[in-house]
Amino acid sequence: MSQNQVEILQRALTREKAARRAAEKILEEKSRDLYLTSQKLESLLDEKSSQLQGVFENIVDAYVVMDLKGNFIKFNEAATKLFGYDIAVDKVNVVHLIHIEDYNYAMSSFMDLQTNSFFKNYEARVYTKSKEVKWVHINASIIFDKNKKPVAAQGIVRDITAQKASEDKLIESENRLASLVVNLDSGIVLEDENRKIVLTNNKFCELFKINANPKDLIGMDCVAASEQNKILFKDPEGFIQRMRAIDADKKAVIGDELEMLEGQILERTYMPIRIGEKSKGFLWTFTDVTLKRTYSKSLEAQRQKYYNIIANMNLGMVEVNKNEEILMVNQSFEKISGYTEAEVKGKNARELFAVDGGSEIVLEENKKRLKGESSSYELKVKNKAGEIIYLLISGAPNYNIDGEIIGSIGIHLDITKIKNLELQKEKLLEKLERSNDELQEYAHIVSHDLKSPLRSIHALVSWLKEDNQGKLDAVSLQNFGHIETTLEKMEQLITDVLNYSSVGAETAVKADVDLNSMVSELINILYIPEHIEIKSLHVLPNIKGDITKLQQLFQNLISNSVKFIDKKCGSIIIDVEDLKSHYKFSIQDNGIGIDKKYHNKIFKIFHSLKKSKDSSGIGLSIVKKIVNLHEGEIWLDSEPNVGTTFYFTLKK
Amino acid sequence: MIKKLKILLIEDDMIEVMKLNRTISTLKLDHKIIEANNGEEALEILEQKDNLPDIILLDLNMPKINGIEFLNILKKDSVLKYIPTIILSTSNNQKDLLECYKTGVAGYVIKPLKYEDYVSKIEKLLAYWSINELIVV
Repeated sequence: MSQNQVEILQRALTREKAARRAAEKILEEKSRDLYLTSQKLESLLDEKSSQLQGVFENIVDAYVVMDLKGNFIKFNEAATKLFGYDIAVDKVNVVHLIHIEDYNYAMSSFMDLQTNSFFKNYEARVYTKSKEVKWVHINASIIFDKNKKPVAAQGIVRDITAQKASEDKLIESENRLASLVVNLDSGIVLEDENRKIVLTNNKFCELFKINANPKDLIGMDCVAASEQNKILFKDPEGFIQRMRAIDADKKAVIGDELEMLEGQILERTYMPIRIGEKSKGFLWTFTDVTLKRTYSKSLEAQRQKYYNIIANMNLGMVEVNKNEEILMVNQSFEKISGYTEAEVKGKNARELFAVDGGSEIVLEENKKRLKGESSSYELKVKNKAGEIIYLLISGAPNYNIDGEIIGSIGIHLDITKIKNLELQKEKLLEKLERSNDELQEYAHIVSHDLKSPLRSIHALVSWLKEDNQGKLDAVSLQNFGHIETTLEKMEQLITDVLNYSSVGAETAVKADVDLNSMVSELINILYIPEHIEIKSLHVLPNIKGDITKLQQLFQNLISNSVKFIDKKCGSIIIDVEDLKSHYKFSIQDNGIGIDKKYHNKIFKIFHSLKKSKDSSGIGLSIVKKIVNLHEGEIWLDSEPNVGTTFYFTLKK
Repeated sequence: MIKKLKILLIEDDMIEVMKLNRTISTLKLDHKIIEANNGEEALEILEQKDNLPDIILLDLNMPKINGIEFLNILKKDSVLKYIPTIILSTSNNQKDLLECYKTGVAGYVIKPLKYEDYVSKIEKLLAYWSINELIVV
């Protein structure tokens, strides 16, 4: 081997040695680095796992670990609180916790866990230890060992009971809102940015005469639809143009009025719906305001009408407040009172007009108004000129729109003329009554004065006869007899005249009179010759009347019949017939009868047909007067020599 | 025993006075008649309290003080009000009747037309009062 060769080999070896040393040194450095890194990593891992441990332990949500059979191995504090179990003591399997209705869902989620090693967003109900039901949200995953073998499952459980309840409420209120929208009395269309219908309701379909379910319109194009609908309106092009303008503007529009062909009036509003900065669509609302418009129009017309009536009526109208201060009067009242409205406005109505205790009347009446009562009354007042006028006032309380009494309104009729006539009438009546009384007195006095001399003559004649007994011849005695008869007749005449004037003068109270017993008593008292028979065909009724006068009526007629019966067998028949408001009586006799030409005359005073001692010609006049007093009529049927029937009616 | 009555007749009609006197004498009654032509005269007579009549027959229709006025005066007097007063009148006016009985009368007799009837009425009237007990003042 050559030196060179040796040297070459030695140099190579030296290089090799140096390279190895360098490599060893690098390796040493590298392994030192590696050691440090692994040291670092290990501590990092420790740190992380303890961190993780802490997170799980201290997590707000419940954290649970269970074995693969479903037995819980670990609950964190929140889990213990949520489920109520202390798993150090209680042995709990997941099956115990599952709500019966969610069992199938729970099982399928469990299968997911096994196949996919996790599940997410499981939401179901669970039972707690106290059998309370809670809604929970669970995310779960499988835990593997070093050899990738599943050993357990862990899950994070969140209590969402409260959230769930508010969700339910939200759904409920959404449903309510939806049904409200569907049944709203306004037509509604909610459209999106592209003018496609998002929501509409029944009323809209009705107003626009669309024969479809509102749901079926969803998605429809509003532009096309409005082209179809425009014919419903009086101004179709105007409708379209305005709609386009609104749509282009995208600003709220309220109270547009649209007149439809059939006369309906719609009110249109447009409302962009925004939540935050985001547009949620545009809401069109259509409301039928036809009635409202016509109401207010007719209301205005009515108002005008009544205003005109009030202004022009011939009745004075005064409106006062609760303090009796005049708020308003109409023209007629100005005319009646003589004041202008300006002169009386704000004045106290009572103090201004009342006279003679009228103030008290008005005070009383105003009390009634405050109680809500209406009434009418007469009032004596003075007008501006100080003249007394009479008013008939019809007053009524005045209410505001809340139904509170704010005063009263009185309608005034000037009855001065009528009142004066009434007063005059009253005076006349009073005078008449007085002169009637005087006349009555007069009749009594006259009859007394006339009768006294008759009595005296009678006494004197008697004494002449007595004192000259035996000295007078037959003719003289006969003449004395004539004097006496004449005196009697004279006296009867005076009595009858007095009676006649008395009938109707004494206004006795009308009472129930039993005519049947009255007439039978009368027949007992009256002188009835034996050859005359009196019969009543029907029971006589009770009527309202004056008993003495009715007695006189029957007495005069029956005596009349008795007086004029010339037949051997006399008969008087009394009968009655029930008319509606009256009774019709008849007294029939078979006497001498009365010639037709006298029928009207006999009821007139002093028209006796047969001049006789007991007939003054006043009896039938009295009869007629009594019948008339009882609101009846009297007439007769008669045939000379056959008999007479008197008919008369008396008010029931 | 039939009592002898002292009768005050207040009557303005002379013949009526004669009628009563004649009636009493015809009937042979032993009553004493005191005559007064009117109310004033009667009141004068009634002043003599020791010689008061037993009964009074009073005509209603008289001049000056009429019967009813006289009756009122009588009834206001503490003594005279006890004397039975019988009205003799032509008038059967209900108002008068009512007024008289209200004021207080002991009777109300209508003067009849016939003298015989008058005699008969007076006979009964006096017979009645003759058997009555009267207050002696």
